[in-house]
Amino acid sequence: MEIPRLSRRRFLGLTAAAGVAAVLGVPLLKREASLAQERPKARYALIIDTTKCTGCGACIEACRLRNHLPEGVSYIRRIVKGNERNPRFLMIQCQHCANPPCATVCPTHATYRREDGVVLIDERLCVGCKYCMQACPYQARIFDEERGVADKCWLCLPWVLGGGLPACVEACIPGARLFGRADDPQSEVAQLIASGRAKPLHPEFGTDPSILFYVIEEE
Amino acid sequence: MQTAWGWLPAIYLFLGGMGAGALLVAAAFEFYGKRYQYDFCPTALVGATVPGPLVILGTLLLIFDLGAGRREPWRIFYMFTHFSSVMTWGVWLLTLFIPVSLIYGFLEILDAFPAARQWLRTRRWLRWTAFLWNLPLRRTKRVFAGIGSVLAVGVAIYTGILLSAVGPAIPFWSTRVLPFIPIPMMPVLFLVSALSTGMGLTVDLVATLAIGPMEQRVKSLPWIHMAFIGVETLLLGMLLITALVNGGSAAQSAREIIAGTHAVVFWVLIVLPGFIFPFVVHAYAAGLGRHSLVSGVGSGVGIVVAGLFLRYLILVSGIPAAL
Ligand code: SF4
Ligand code: SF4
Repeated sequence: MEIPRLSRRRFLGLTAAAGVAAVLGVPLLKREASLAQERPKARYALIIDTTKCTGCGACIEACRLRNHLPEGVSYIRRIVKGNERNPRFLMIQCQHCANPPCATVCPTHATYRREDGVVLIDERLCVGCKYCMQACPYQARIFDEERGVADKCWLCLPWVLGGGLPACVEACIPGARLFGRADDPQSEVAQLIASGRAKPLHPEFGTDPSILFYVIEEE
Repeated sequence: MQTAWGWLPAIYLFLGGMGAGALLVAAAFEFYGKRYQYDFCPTALVGATVPGPLVILGTLLLIFDLGAGRREPWRIFYMFTHFSSVMTWGVWLLTLFIPVSLIYGFLEILDAFPAARQWLRTRRWLRWTAFLWNLPLRRTKRVFAGIGSVLAVGVAIYTGILLSAVGPAIPFWSTRVLPFIPIPMMPVLFLVSALSTGMGLTVDLVATLAIGPMEQRVKSLPWIHMAFIGVETLLLGMLLITALVNGGSAAQSAREIIAGTHAVVFWVLIVLPGFIFPFVVHAYAAGLGRHSLVSGVGSGVGIVVAGLFLRYLILVSGIPAAL
């Protein structure tokens, strides 16, 4: 009787230790170092001028192609506002909130915000619970059924860090999308924001969008 | 209409609520001594034994509804780690509730069936459990009933906070108790509904089936249950009125429920079987001091079914805020 009892206790102990280690070890998991750290000082801004936007959807398609999304899926979606004779188009994608509810409700550490304000999903940590999709007031998130993880606009971060542009900005035919660094007071985006013409969408949600701004003509 | 959460989360919220409610009923019977009035108390037996399996089933459904977490189950451990998330609180609550309720149920079985105790004691391979037999059974059971009750209240409330925590994204889910009281309605409604479905299961259904319609032992129970149904009706009415007053997509949700796409579910599968019918037959039962077979089984089944459809209704009628 003595020997099996000892080994049982040992086994239980090992199991418990492994469980505790697994739980404690999770927060120590490193994010992809390049995306989490690089150039944290920048403050990006993407301004969509709805008075120029024709709703053609070139950005939607360019986003789809660059991010290898399936047919009909994109991080950007189009909302039609205004009336039939004078339609206005509102292109919606992740607003990169400074106070992102998607990150607050995420039960894992999958959704996080970089120091420069870009909100990202570490898909190795995502369990696919879809809570973030419920909590985003801009409905900016989509679900990747194939991999079972949440997905959204990531500002084409690797391109931006390499000095390039997000695909949607490159593709915009009437030039309604402006991208730049808001921390540079000379930049066009900084001036538009300072002039008060470019404003965050629905500030009343309280999520404090920090990268996407819209120029909307009041009627 | 939100489409990310459908039937599986609805069933899971329902099972969590009903399991928590049933355990609370059993614990109340335990602490008020009703459990020991007679030799055999089916309400306490079912209320103690059923919550564990119900919540396990609910948790399995929750896991089954995950994306990557279902295929790579070790990712579920990550869900214990982010404490700003209500879902993380829920995962902890479920993790604690399940073993406590299982132990409580096990002790209740040992208490109710001396034969089970005897059987366990005479197994050779269980000899290492001998230390257990020196514990005072009922006092140990009470400890677990007490811890279980605290966790049960947590589980029932959490199922509501899970929804209300989405804030402005889905205004109907974050509707307040009253426009000027900053307490969300969903946790309150779900707690009361959890108690009502728990009583529907353990008292109306099980007690009527087990000890027969002629003998309703706790005379005040129909009154208490009527009070719960009344409060729940009031809360549901307040939810719809507050949502209508708030306007926007919350009002749209309320209109869909009252007279729109979800009206049939609301009136025929929730209000009628879960509110009107049980209230009427409970009034009758309160007068008589006992349930008839029809009133007991009917309101038990009705309340449980309505509880399930209530969770489903609230999930499907969540409409994202307009942009
Ligand atoms: S727009 Fe939505 S997904 Fe993007 S940061 Fe804000 S809440 Fe999160
Ligand atoms: S789906 Fe993924 S990113 Fe979204 S809340 Fe769940 S774990 Fe977090």
